[in-house]
Amino acid sequence: MELNTIISPEGVIADLKANSKKQALQELSVRAAGITGVSDRTILDTLLERERLGTTGVGQGIAIPHGKLGEIDRLFGLFARLADPIEFESIDEQPVDLVFLLLAPQGAGADHLKALARVSRLLRDKDVCEKLRHCDSVEAIYALLTDNARPHAA
Amino acid sequence: MNLTYQIILIGALMGVFAIVAGRVSSRLGAPVLLVFLGLGMLAGEDGLGIRYDDVTGAFFVCSVALAVILFDGGLRTQRSTFAVAGWPSLVLATVGVAITAGIVAVGAWAMFGTPPAGALLIGATVASTDAAAVFFLLRLQKLDIARRVASTLEVESGLNDPMAIFLTLLAIELVSAQDLTVAEGVATFLLQIGGGALIGWGGGRALVFLVNRLETAAGLYPILVVASALTVFAGAQLLGTSGFLAVYVAGFVLGNERHRASQLILRFHDGIAWLAQIAMLLTLGLLVTPTKLLPVLLPALGVAAVLMIVARPLAVFLCLWPFRFSMRERAFAAWVGLRGAVPIYLALPAIIENMPGGEALFGVAFVVVLTSLVLQGWTVAPAARFMNLALPPSKAQADRRDVDVPFGAHRDIVGYTVLPGSAVVNLPFDRLPLPEGARVLSVLRAGSVVEPAALDHLAPRDYVLVIADPEQIHGLDRIFASRRRAGESVAAAGEFAVDARQSIDEFGRLYGIEIRPRDAGKSIAAVITAAFSGKPVAGDRMPYGPVELVVRDLDDAGAVIMVGLALEPEADRPTLSRLLGPRLHAAFGRVGRRLAGRGQRA
Repeated sequence: MELNTIISPEGVIADLKANSKKQALQELSVRAAGITGVSDRTILDTLLERERLGTTGVGQGIAIPHGKLGEIDRLFGLFARLADPIEFESIDEQPVDLVFLLLAPQGAGADHLKALARVSRLLRDKDVCEKLRHCDSVEAIYALLTDNARPHAA
Repeated sequence: MNLTYQIILIGALMGVFAIVAGRVSSRLGAPVLLVFLGLGMLAGEDGLGIRYDDVTGAFFVCSVALAVILFDGGLRTQRSTFAVAGWPSLVLATVGVAITAGIVAVGAWAMFGTPPAGALLIGATVASTDAAAVFFLLRLQKLDIARRVASTLEVESGLNDPMAIFLTLLAIELVSAQDLTVAEGVATFLLQIGGGALIGWGGGRALVFLVNRLETAAGLYPILVVASALTVFAGAQLLGTSGFLAVYVAGFVLGNERHRASQLILRFHDGIAWLAQIAMLLTLGLLVTPTKLLPVLLPALGVAAVLMIVARPLAVFLCLWPFRFSMRERAFAAWVGLRGAVPIYLALPAIIENMPGGEALFGVAFVVVLTSLVLQGWTVAPAARFMNLALPPSKAQADRRDVDVPFGAHRDIVGYTVLPGSAVVNLPFDRLPLPEGARVLSVLRAGSVVEPAALDHLAPRDYVLVIADPEQIHGLDRIFASRRRAGESVAAAGEFAVDARQSIDEFGRLYGIEIRPRDAGKSIAAVITAAFSGKPVAGDRMPYGPVELVVRDLDDAGAVIMVGLALEPEADRPTLSRLLGPRLHAAFGRVGRRLAGRGQRA
């Protein structure tokens, strides 16, 4: 599974401003709503429902909020770099500054899991994260996210 | 006169060198036991030229040392560890040792035509493991191993020496061509093992009673304990039972009963067990003449190969068959069959008794131990990572010091250094989540005592003294622990954290995973607890549909509170990239491509 089938350049935000986890998820929902046409309220509810099961702040400044929506027909990704790191109840209690949002259609069982694993593997690569933090354009971030030549597909 | 001082000087200097070299080498990941042994060899006849060939003296030193080490091992084995790992380690320590010895014996017989009794002697000599060294190494590298397999290996190594010793005795009797019926063999076994366990248990109870009743200077309690342990050991041996088992059991009994001066005794034993390891390995290193090993080198390497590649793996796989272990855990246990000083020690009586081939047996045992320490000892940590059994260090990271409180108060005083990144740094002082009844006694900041009442926040590097119930210490560790987790261990702990108290139905619904009808309505914790017969421990993995749930965190009562969600269990299989680390793997890839490119041009 390649990330360029999930995320498009318009799904990349280089400097999201948010003061809290709630606010960041709200902002991301609004952005996702603009691209998918699903109401931002529905998206936010889906994400918050997942957070109740346990934080998606996976540590090292990374969060991967995700959930399933009946209203979309394909996997949808959104990436945001935060202007200032925020508290995300992360597993290592460190603030988060890189967020990958992943929405999946209701029926996408295995694909949903596969895509999540793919995103998680990409953001576990410390070199990639370091570069993502220092890119100066949306295009550069998008290129990093969808660069398939890297050997992280282990 | 001067000879006395020379001996003291040399002995003491070697002790100092051993410790310094051990510290330096642990940074390189070298097993400390190897360093001690190597230092002894270096100082010996083929090195600096110290001539030492008093086999009887070496046997004496090693017997005392082994008794002390086994007692210490028992002292530190908690009842909860035994509850998790008791049966598998018991089977490994008895049946497993017999299988290992048998296979090695067959190997020696087939390869070199050693007569059966002699082959069995070789097998029995090298059959027991020494996991203490393994765990010391892992702790130095701040690695937590999935607990079920770690506990099993630890308890196994404490229990399998008596069995190996029994088999060795049996083989010696066979070699000496004494008539030995099966009934006699069984009777000896029962007397050795049953008697040893009984004497150990009785001795342990008596020791608890003695420590708690006798009023004496605080510093004498540890000495009293050591002297009693050696009494139990030697007494059991003289009665024809296993002193090695007795002393381990006695340590276990004392370590799991409330008694006076427990911190003092534990700390003293930590030191004296180290001293015993150093003394034993230096002595054995001095005793051996490396050049004399050359004639037996090849056959000995053959024995080592059979042991590591065939005997141990087969014994582990057969013995752990009935128990719930994953393939990776079995593979890890099979590899971590590290041999310590015991095989060399067991070969000594053969020399003392002037048995034919005694010197050769000693040589074989020595080479096997050396090979195992180098190959297996050095690769324990990489093997744990390779098999995805290295858990992110969690609450073990709290920096705690314990203080003894007068007996009967049922309170412990513990000191913590506040670590950056721990939960306490971010909270106002009056809102610290201390357990019920626990109190902060004092805070030291920058070397001076600060009134707790005058504080609003704890700062990193503050030193905090807390008084609490002993049962609450674990909870305190959690609060004061640094919560920084390693990012690399996702494969071992799962990608996402999931609250185990949530219902499994909700989990299934959110991820589109079908829930088995018998699990419906249960919490995730309940399902995973049932899967591990009521006793899940950190690192246990439960496959569920396409994913795996990994136990990450338990509360003080042993209930699962957090699990990890591993999305790609099939991808957790070891890969070259994981073995080498991604960087090295990428570098290999580059070299490969370059070579390929050059080939095309040429």
